[in-house]
Amino acid sequence: MTINKFIEKFAEAVEVEDASTLSANTEFRNLEEWSSLAYLSVIALMDEEFDVQIEMEDFKKLKTIQEVFDACTKE
Amino acid sequence: MEKQFNPFSLDGKVIVISGAASGIGRQCAINCSKMGARLILLDLNEAGLAETMTMVEHPEEHFTAAVNLTDYERVPEVIKEAVAKVGRITGLLNCAGISTTLPLNVAKLEVLDKFFHVNVYTAYFLTQAVTKIGNFSKEGGSIVFFSSAAGQYGETCKSIYGMTKGALYAGAKSLACELARKNIRVNSISPGVIVTPINQNLPHIADPEQRKQTEALHLLGLGNPNDIANACIYLLSDASRWVTGSNLVVDGGYTTR
Repeated sequence: MTINKFIEKFAEAVEVEDASTLSANTEFRNLEEWSSLAYLSVIALMDEEFDVQIEMEDFKKLKTIQEVFDACTKE
Repeated sequence: MEKQFNPFSLDGKVIVISGAASGIGRQCAINCSKMGARLILLDLNEAGLAETMTMVEHPEEHFTAAVNLTDYERVPEVIKEAVAKVGRITGLLNCAGISTTLPLNVAKLEVLDKFFHVNVYTAYFLTQAVTKIGNFSKEGGSIVFFSSAAGQYGETCKSIYGMTKGALYAGAKSLACELARKNIRVNSISPGVIVTPINQNLPHIADPEQRKQTEALHLLGLGNPNDIANACIYLLSDASRWVTGSNLVVDGGYTTR
């Protein structure tokens, strides 16, 4: 999956209406739409699309969408 | 002249109704159109939908789609097309459903699968499609799941139907919690026995002796689709703006005793 496709899926999970407002460098915790539900949706996205189960402590270290993508795609 | 007081008006609302080709779904379509709503009508039965369209007010304002609601990939596409034509959704009536009277000893996995797909999964995934970002009004709205008295009270040979309706009753409550932040209210409605095309051939209505017994269980006799459609108007309208996570019992007194 490309980073652009991931951003689209991330936007859908977090319910950002216009995905073009996001970039790889977006700090997602600053988004108006970010919430505990959005967190659960992103965790589900990582699990379903990449079979990655991430601990909350590890997720807390991620700041940008690129970092979430990297956590999904690293070997 | 001052506009007439009507807290139940559906003017300006866009309502999705599944199972709109017959029975309660059709009656909901007719009544909602009379209250001023624009409609998105879904059903597998194309001819039945066309017939419903001859009965609604302002048919030119509505959108219909003959779609199999268990085609879970197609449903979101249909909703997107409908929103583009009719506007963002403010309400959903999950009317589509089937009923059976089946003893435990002859039940099969395939039957349970079918009932959970048609009665539960379709309502769940239609709700998911309708509430996807871009489809639902930013002002919020109202979603209604069709549970049943059989979802909370027992009747012989109604276990499969009852399980599916109990699932909808329970699911509506958690969805009410989840969607409140979007100002989307979620409620269920629990009808008693309503005489409709899907159940008029079942023994408890078709057989005169059993029908008599069924009627005796309802303090006010059996219901008709209008009884449910009018209750739905309340749940869809701004009159119920402070009502969410509730289950509206409309059963002619069936569960009172």
